[in-house]
Amino acid sequence: MVLIEQEVARLPASMVLDGYRALEGTYDELVETGGGTRKHALMVANLLANMNADTFARCQALAELALAQRGVTFSVYSDDRGTEKVMPVCLVPRVIGAGEWARLERGLVQRLTALQLFLDDLYGEQRVLRERVIPAELIFGSKHYLPQLKGMKPPGGVRIHIAGIDLIRSPDGVLRVLEDNLRTPSGVSYVIENRLVTKRVFPAAMDRIGVRRVDDYPTQLVETLRSVSPEDPARSTIVVLTPGPFNSAYFEHSFLARSMGIELVEASDLFVSGDEVFVKTTLGPRRVHVIYRRTDDAYIDPEFFRPDSMLGVPGLMRAWAAGRVTLANAPGNGVADDKAIYPYVPDLIRFFLKEEPIIEQVPTFVCARPADRDYVLAHLDQLVVKAVDEAGGYGMLMGPDASAAELDMFRERITSDPRRYIAQHRIELSTSPTWVAEERRIEPRRIDLRPFILTGKSGSWVLPGGLTRVALRAGSYVVNSSQGGGSKDTWVEAGATS
Amino acid sequence: MISRVADHCFWLGRYIERAESTARLLQVTRTLAFDAELPPLYCWRPLVIVSGQYPELTHHLGADAAGNGDAVQRYMTWAPDNPVSIRNSIRAAREGARSIREVIGHDIWEATNELYLWFMGEVAAAQYLQDRDEVYRHIRRSTQLSLGLVRSTMMHDEPMDFLWLGVMLERVGQTARTLDMHYHIQGAAEGQQPLLQTALWLSLLRACSGFEAYMRREQGRVSRESVVSFLLFEARFPRSLRYCLRTALALFRRLALTRSGGTTAARARLEALDRWLDQQEKDGLPLSEHALLTHVVDEIDAGCGELQGGFEGTDDLPPVEQPEAAQ
Repeated sequence: MVLIEQEVARLPASMVLDGYRALEGTYDELVETGGGTRKHALMVANLLANMNADTFARCQALAELALAQRGVTFSVYSDDRGTEKVMPVCLVPRVIGAGEWARLERGLVQRLTALQLFLDDLYGEQRVLRERVIPAELIFGSKHYLPQLKGMKPPGGVRIHIAGIDLIRSPDGVLRVLEDNLRTPSGVSYVIENRLVTKRVFPAAMDRIGVRRVDDYPTQLVETLRSVSPEDPARSTIVVLTPGPFNSAYFEHSFLARSMGIELVEASDLFVSGDEVFVKTTLGPRRVHVIYRRTDDAYIDPEFFRPDSMLGVPGLMRAWAAGRVTLANAPGNGVADDKAIYPYVPDLIRFFLKEEPIIEQVPTFVCARPADRDYVLAHLDQLVVKAVDEAGGYGMLMGPDASAAELDMFRERITSDPRRYIAQHRIELSTSPTWVAEERRIEPRRIDLRPFILTGKSGSWVLPGGLTRVALRAGSYVVNSSQGGGSKDTWVEAGATS
Repeated sequence: MISRVADHCFWLGRYIERAESTARLLQVTRTLAFDAELPPLYCWRPLVIVSGQYPELTHHLGADAAGNGDAVQRYMTWAPDNPVSIRNSIRAAREGARSIREVIGHDIWEATNELYLWFMGEVAAAQYLQDRDEVYRHIRRSTQLSLGLVRSTMMHDEPMDFLWLGVMLERVGQTARTLDMHYHIQGAAEGQQPLLQTALWLSLLRACSGFEAYMRREQGRVSRESVVSFLLFEARFPRSLRYCLRTALALFRRLALTRSGGTTAARARLEALDRWLDQQEKDGLPLSEHALLTHVVDEIDAGCGELQGGFEGTDDLPPVEQPEAAQ
């Protein structure tokens, strides 16, 4: 593949990036409104400067073949057995400048610190309710709030060990938080696999330019998990708990276990005896101390959550409450990433940290508030409406694109259950140059960014970059892999500070 | 290690070995059918019989199908409803590998996945029509690559031992079945000229990947007695019944499996089978080949049945304190 790059240098004009223009009214991550290249993104412009459509298509095909052979897939739930699909990837990387990243890192740690204090408070003293920082009915109405956990403290003290915060960039160039994922955020395996592929396809380029590495994530993760063990960390057994091979994120569960060198277990491999958790091995039971669980709260423990369910490990919550096993993330976190709580996060940062939020977020109407609801109902065709308890782009209304019937349906839903909905003006998500296979050229497509933050006993660490998801369809705003989204390698410029 | 994972390792070994063995058998039988002046039915029907699929094949494709080399090959290679078709073995191996990727490591997973992607894609389908021998060769090389990677990239501890146990038990069964298949062909060719008889013995050796090893041992002399004794008892030949059984028994001893009921029963059964074969050898093979091989196949199947779900250490023993890696 080095050959390809050498060949490229001799090719005639008509390069793949010729004529690339930003969309009207949208921030582009590569080019400025006037057409010039952003300074920190010059490395990408230079990489593409020597490529025509044929060479780029060949690189792209190589990348896709590599991902298929490595089995970098996700499953789609559309049929019984789950069909595996290769995560679509666009080889044009997205670049974040060193200065912007440094600020972002501080802002993410600030946000996580506040959310962690919020959860401690909510399952403890509940000052936020007494002092009316958040309306109590929003908390009690959240299906992810677990009142049974009040008074319980997680072993190791940490609740949000692994967080994924979704960011988007508005036309004014400001990165804003769109959503917090504090339960089982996924996608980090694609970050690492995408980087491997980029290195393989553009070896010379990666050698020349300074990009911060991402491959130490598994080491950081396993150290994070070890640090919160209820027993001596050096003698602790850590496992990854997966719902199984048919889960949409199974590749990632397996990837993480493999790259951390720990065992991947299913619920049926575990049992609880005397408030301790054991894994069934060929040599008999062995004690487990830390579980990185990639299952929802509802499927952790049938004794606790769903007596009718066969899924989960009976007694696991008892063991957790007794402080004998650490669950990462802690149960009950869902209330803090509830979309109805999101509008209040800036207030939580001010309340707990006495600081101003470093990262902006998207102005949001909370339909539980009568004034907001009236506004939303009156401007439905201009707004994006989201059900607070749905994820993955489901349960959403894109007002500007919706039919009259869809608008009516949502009007009715909001009126009958306002607590379930929030609304935002549609943000013109920033774009990044993206390979469009059918057109054989590079066009602007909308993207978001999900950085990952790990928190252990000794504080937080942010993976440089994170997952850039891209809406591959022209005009689309939906970046979810289940709905036609793909991903890109995300380069954080190595600056003086790193 | 986790009991469920042990079970997956065992079956991964079996499926990889089964895919290899089936491809080899089809490849060799195809060559035999081209050369051996035997009617196609005599060449192909025994292959279907020993695979256990004769009733299904004739039920689905008619009584004549077993005499149609193309029909048999298609059925044994591609048929989704044939539990022992190469397609199902490759698919099951790949699914198994996918569910224990973190245990077997990237190289083995990638080799298994690449075989699967190739086999299910257009390239293999086209090649099957143009150059079938190459398809069988590709399957054999890929599966051999996977098994080679098992020994050269995996830690030589429990997971590999379970995987190799699966390979060995599958292989005993396959060698016994192949020998038995030859018994059927030989019976059909009874009274034929000696040249054909020799050709059949050589074909049998090829079907067991033992042609060159045998020729070296016997310096080119081919006789019924020495071929049968080679495939049954040659302890240095890695596909003989004795080699596979003894390797499996050594693996049982290495794995600290005494705690679980299923493995104890299977181990005792295979030890008894090993002794029984010794006795047969001493007594100068009093049984017919067919009776002897049927007994071997039945006992292996029963042993594998006892292993099913039997990889769990019993709960009433004191828990294992240390992480296994530290031991």
